[in-house]
Parts: sequence; C-alpha cells; structure tokens
Amino acid sequence: MTQPKRPNSIDRREFVTTTTGAAAAVALGPTIWLKRPQKTLKILQWSHFVPSYDVWFDKYAKDWGTAKEIDVTVDHIALSDLGTRANAEVAAQQGHDLFQFLSPPGAFESQVLDMADVVQQAERQHGPILDLCKRSTYNPVTRKWFGFSDNYVPDPGDYLKTLWTEIGMPDGPVTWEDLVKAAPLIKGKHPEIQIPIGIGMSQELDSNMAARAMVWSFDGSVQDANENVVLKSDHTLEALEFGVRLFKAGMNPSVMSWNAASNNQALNARQTGYILNSISAYRTAQDNKLPVADDIFFVPALKGPRGTGWASEHVMGIYVIWKFAQSPDVARQFLVDLIGHYRDAVLGSKLYNFPSFTGSVADPGVPMAQKAASGNKWLEQVTASDPFGSNPPSKLKPISTALQWATNIGHPGPANPAESEVFDTFVLPTMFANAATGRMTAKQALDDAHQQVKKIFEKWRGKGLVAGGSGDH
Amino acid sequence: MTSRRTLADREDVLGGVMLAPALAYVVLLVGVPFFLAIALSFSNATAGSLSFQWTGLGNYAAILRDPIFLRALRNSVVVTVGTQVLVIILATAAAQVFRATFRGKRVARFVMLLPWAVPVSLAAIAWTWIFDSTFSVINWTLKATGLLHGWLYWLGDPALALLAIIIVQAWRIFPFATVIVLASLSSIPQEILEAAIVDGAGFWRRLFQIELPLLLPVVAVAVLFGVVYTATDLGVVYILTGGGPANTTHVLPTLAFQRGILGADLGQGAAIAVFLLPFLIVVAIAMLRVARRAEVGGAAR
Repeated sequence: MTQPKRPNSIDRREFVTTTTGAAAAVALGPTIWLKRPQKTLKILQWSHFVPSYDVWFDKYAKDWGTAKEIDVTVDHIALSDLGTRANAEVAAQQGHDLFQFLSPPGAFESQVLDMADVVQQAERQHGPILDLCKRSTYNPVTRKWFGFSDNYVPDPGDYLKTLWTEIGMPDGPVTWEDLVKAAPLIKGKHPEIQIPIGIGMSQELDSNMAARAMVWSFDGSVQDANENVVLKSDHTLEALEFGVRLFKAGMNPSVMSWNAASNNQALNARQTGYILNSISAYRTAQDNKLPVADDIFFVPALKGPRGTGWASEHVMGIYVIWKFAQSPDVARQFLVDLIGHYRDAVLGSKLYNFPSFTGSVADPGVPMAQKAASGNKWLEQVTASDPFGSNPPSKLKPISTALQWATNIGHPGPANPAESEVFDTFVLPTMFANAATGRMTAKQALDDAHQQVKKIFEKWRGKGLVAGGSGDH
Repeated sequence: MTSRRTLADREDVLGGVMLAPALAYVVLLVGVPFFLAIALSFSNATAGSLSFQWTGLGNYAAILRDPIFLRALRNSVVVTVGTQVLVIILATAAAQVFRATFRGKRVARFVMLLPWAVPVSLAAIAWTWIFDSTFSVINWTLKATGLLHGWLYWLGDPALALLAIIIVQAWRIFPFATVIVLASLSSIPQEILEAAIVDGAGFWRRLFQIELPLLLPVVAVAVLFGVVYTATDLGVVYILTGGGPANTTHVLPTLAFQRGILGADLGQGAAIAVFLLPFLIVVAIAMLRVARRAEVGGAAR
C-alpha cells in the first residue's frame, strides 16, 4: 500500500532526482557558464617579505595583461610552501604557467622548458646576466637554462649600532673573529640580551645561508668548481671549530630551534646584537615603527682567517615555465617585459630585490655597452640615499657592494640538484649544530655530513644531472 | 496503473550507488596513494620528475643504515606511547571531573573540547610561541613567580623538544578521549558501583578495581585512535620543531616529508612513510586484541 505523501515532504525518488540534478549542475556548471578568454597567464610566486612588492607586482601584472588583452592571474603562497606546491603541479601535470622558486630548482630540470631564448632576449635588451645568477640557473652538464632569474637578494650582516658602539666597534664586525670577541663584551654590558650573536644553526633558510657563509669564508665548500664533493677538508673543519667557539661565546640552544623569522624577531626585540639576514628584518621594524629600526645598521660579508669573505644570496627569484604550461609564449614575453621594468620592481620591493640584469636598472637611453655600469651607479645612489625613510639615509650603502661578496648556492661551482638537496635537507646547519652542542666532535660532524653529501651527489650523478666524481674527497 | 520502476525504487542497486561515492573516495584518495607509495619505495623516483627506475630494496637498505631514520623511528614510538599515557591519565581524570555536578559544567566542557576543534596547524603555531626558546611565556611566568632560575630552551634542547611535542599531541587528543571515557563511564551499571560502595570500597578502589577494568575495551579503542592520530601526524612536529634541533626530533612522517618532498628523494621518502604501516598494523592488532579479551573476560564474569 502506498503511503499518502505529506505536504512539504520529499520522497526518496524526488530526493535522488534532486540531488543527482544538483550534483550534475555543480560539476558541469563552470564548464557551461564560464566563457574562457582567448589568452591567459597564471603566475605563482611567494608572498614577499616586503609586502609592498606584492602590491606593485600584482598591479604591474594586471596592467600588462590589460594592455595585451591577456587574463593574468597572480597567486601568492608562503615561501615554505613553494617546494610542496611545485611537486604537486608536476605530479598533476597542470598548474601555473610561471612558477617562481626562491632557490635553484635543479631537481625540476626535466619538467621545465629551456629558458635560453628568454635569457638571450633579456641580454640583448639590457646587457649580460650576472654570473651569480647564471650559476644558479644554468646546468653546464646538460647545457640547459632550467630557470630564469629576475632578482637576487643580498644577505648582509645586520647589527645594532648602539651595542657595538658601546664595545668600541661602532662600524660593526669586519671578520668572523670579531663576533667571538664582541659576544662576551655585549653580554657583559647587557646581561638582559639572551643571544649576543644570533647566527642560526637550525633547519631553516637563514641558518642554511649562515652555515654556507662560514664554510666559504674559511675557504671550504661543499663542492669545487667542477662539482666534486670536497666538503671534508681542513678548511671546513676549521670553520666548524670556529662555529663551536662562536656558539660557546655568544649563543645558546635557542638558535637550534629558530625558524626563518626568529632572527628578525630577536633583533627587533633587542635580544641579539648581530644577525645574518636581508634588509627585510629592518623594513619590518620600519613598517611597524619600532624604535629599534634606527639602530639597525648593515655590514658586508664577514672575512675569514685568510681574508676571504663570502655570503650567500639571501634568496634568488627564479622563474620556470613548466613543460605542461598552457601559455609558454605568453609567459616568456611577460618575463622579458618584467625585466624591462626592473627599476620599478627594485623600488617596489624597497631595495630588497636586486636585479639579475644590472643593465635593466640603467638610466633610460644609455648605450648597451654602458648599461651595466649605469645600473650599478643607480644602485649605489639609491642605497646611499634610501628613498624609504632610513635614518640616516645612507644606512643601506653597504649592500650596494653585494656583488663583491654575494655568491650562489653551489659556490664555487654551479647550482645543481645535488646542492639543492643538500640545501633542502639542511645538512650544513645540522653539521654545525651537532658540533656546537657537543653531540659530535667537529671531526665526527664533518665526517657525518660529508658522507651524506657524497650519497646525494652520487644519486644525482646517476641521473646525469651533476658532473664531477673523480675529484671527490 | 503500474508506474515504471526507477533507480529510486530499486533498493539493491540504490544501496550500491549511494555507497559508491564513499567507496570511490577511499579507493582514490587512500587506496591509490597507498599502493603508489609502496611502488615508489622500490624506485629511485625523484620529486620534480615523472620517470624512475626500480631499485628493489635499495631504499629500505639505505634508511635502515641511516641513524637519522632510526632516531625518527624511535621518536615515533616515544611520542606515540608518551602521548597515549598522558592522554589516558588526563582523560580519565577529566571524565571523573565532568561526571560530577558543578556550576559552569557546560562552559567547562565546551572549553575542554576546544583543542579538538582547533585546526592542528593553528594550534601548533600558537604552541610554537608558547615554547619559543627566547620568548616562551612558560619561562617568563616561571621566572616571574621565582620557580625558574635558569632557562628552559624548550625547542632548542632535544629532550625538552620531544617533551613539548608530546604535550601538544596530548593536548589536542585528550578531549576526544575524555568524551569517549565519559560516555563509557555513564554506561557502567549504577548497581555495581552502589554495591561496591555498600561493601566499603573507596574512590580509588572503585576506580582501579571496578571502573577502569570495565572501561578497558572503550579505552583501548580511544588509544587506538590516539595512536593513529599521533603516529601519522605531520603538522605538530613539522611546525613545532621541523625535526630539529639537528634532526633529533623527527618522527617518520616529518622525515618522509623532508626527504621525499623537500629533498626531492621521493623513493626514500616513500620508503620511510611505508615504515609506518607495519608499526600501525601491530599496534592496531594489539589494541583490538586487548579490547576483545576484555570484552570476552567481562562476558565470562
């Protein structure tokens, strides 16, 4: 017997019909209603440490798209999510046309287009790309440009001038040894400061850069110019032993737990007197109107015992175009045009981004042969008189010399997938942490790291992406 | 007049159709990745490339020789067991409190449930500040009250960092366990407890000799859930310590993520992740056996 239907009730048949119809509408709706424009460009990049850059870039990209009748979409994600997102896009074989990494994406070489033509076009218009940027984006083994660098970011030392003045070093440290000398003096005058010298030894970006700066400045390196593994050397051991001394003199175990923002926070809270970082920590202090901003000053890379002084670029903007990109030609054109507006980009980032093509920030109308010199001159001028409210305006002058002391991940060789894996699995900061905490002797920590590095290099050599091997230590 | 039979009238087919989305969800989002992970663990696959070659047991041999992996395996056990011990103690105590009648009980229950409702990542970020080695609010409070004379580097010291991870994991799981224990407590026949009181059994005797044995099957299920939540969790450890200091607090999921995704060694990352499987199977079988034995024992009595 059929039950009479109650008013406002729904029977099973109606339920199934309605829900099926609704599900179909939800699934098919977008394909029915969305009229796709003829050309699109999808860009993914990080949420910049200096937020004004994102404002500038998003507007630039939108205006560029409007002028060319292209629908441009810019998505921003956190720096730490870039690798995960890139892997997801490769696995799905779809995603954005332009994907910006912040360190050399050597592992993705097989999935990206060769950017040689974009580099050549940019060089024709603005002069040569910086060697530092070439070594981060060109694989000499496969002869492929696996990325296109639009900028690099200097990684100077940031120090609190009042503290260093009190201990008789008003211009900050010059050598790594100065840090060891200064630490007890700062602690003696300011016992409330927990970490007189704030060099991270943790599993994060800044610690990675600091560990490399120390090893390079003591004349050691992970690989040589020919991609042989040479980490295990007397020079690296010397750097490691210095790291132990520095930890004991001026740091505490908190630096083992730092994340990428921790050294900024410690400096801005006056809990440390020196950090290795880009100018973003300072810009944050300025933006938040913190009194400490006026006390933050900068020094170039510190020198080691034999006068060598290297610092890693803090980050490097490297765009790739996936092989599965929907609009590769549009993406190429966007990059070439972006380089043509790089003076605006540098100012949009409040002098955080430095151009990979120095000639791109040259004065207008300068002949090609003088573009690089003109670009350098402009960078010197703008850092010597910061248009973004520094007190004194010349505060950023030391970073104008960055090209003399900034180098690439992989120095003195090129960036490659093996160096990237060593970087991304934090082998070097862990080596320093192991030695500094006494968990291992310096020699044991070096042996341990060297074995890890060798395995990583051997794996990537097996894939034909990394050279060397005959000269491995 | 007989109307035409449609799908909605055919219960045999309709059941299958309605079950299909859930089945497809499990197969596509759990089954396929699971078997893919097993396959990748026998390969030299790298993230960023779709081609790979089979390498047999090479990845497993490599990780078994790796002290960082062995430490991560040990940490997984320590964190999982430590968390469950803490959860059982806290959940049993909280259930006893919430069984009583008191003013503001509803508000207290709501507050207690909050950790369960908060997204793991947001909670972990908040705990990162609480345990921050420089600005820890715990340290500042202990200092201000004169209870701490040195300084606790919560996330900078391996032992303290592991303890911090256990505390956070227990904090987020214990509300769920409390609800389960509370529901189970209310199902214990009142006459048994009354008989015990008449026989002169005090609170502790009732707790340990009557209530806890009767709660055991349910507690075992709560523990099983807790083990799965803790052992497979990536978020808390990744956000809190990132596996540091010096790789000393990695658990299997974070090490798998670091090697497989960040380090691009997908094959080795998959091998590390697959190691969770036998671990969880053993735990699940053990816990279900305990529950079954307790049930059978209870029925026999």
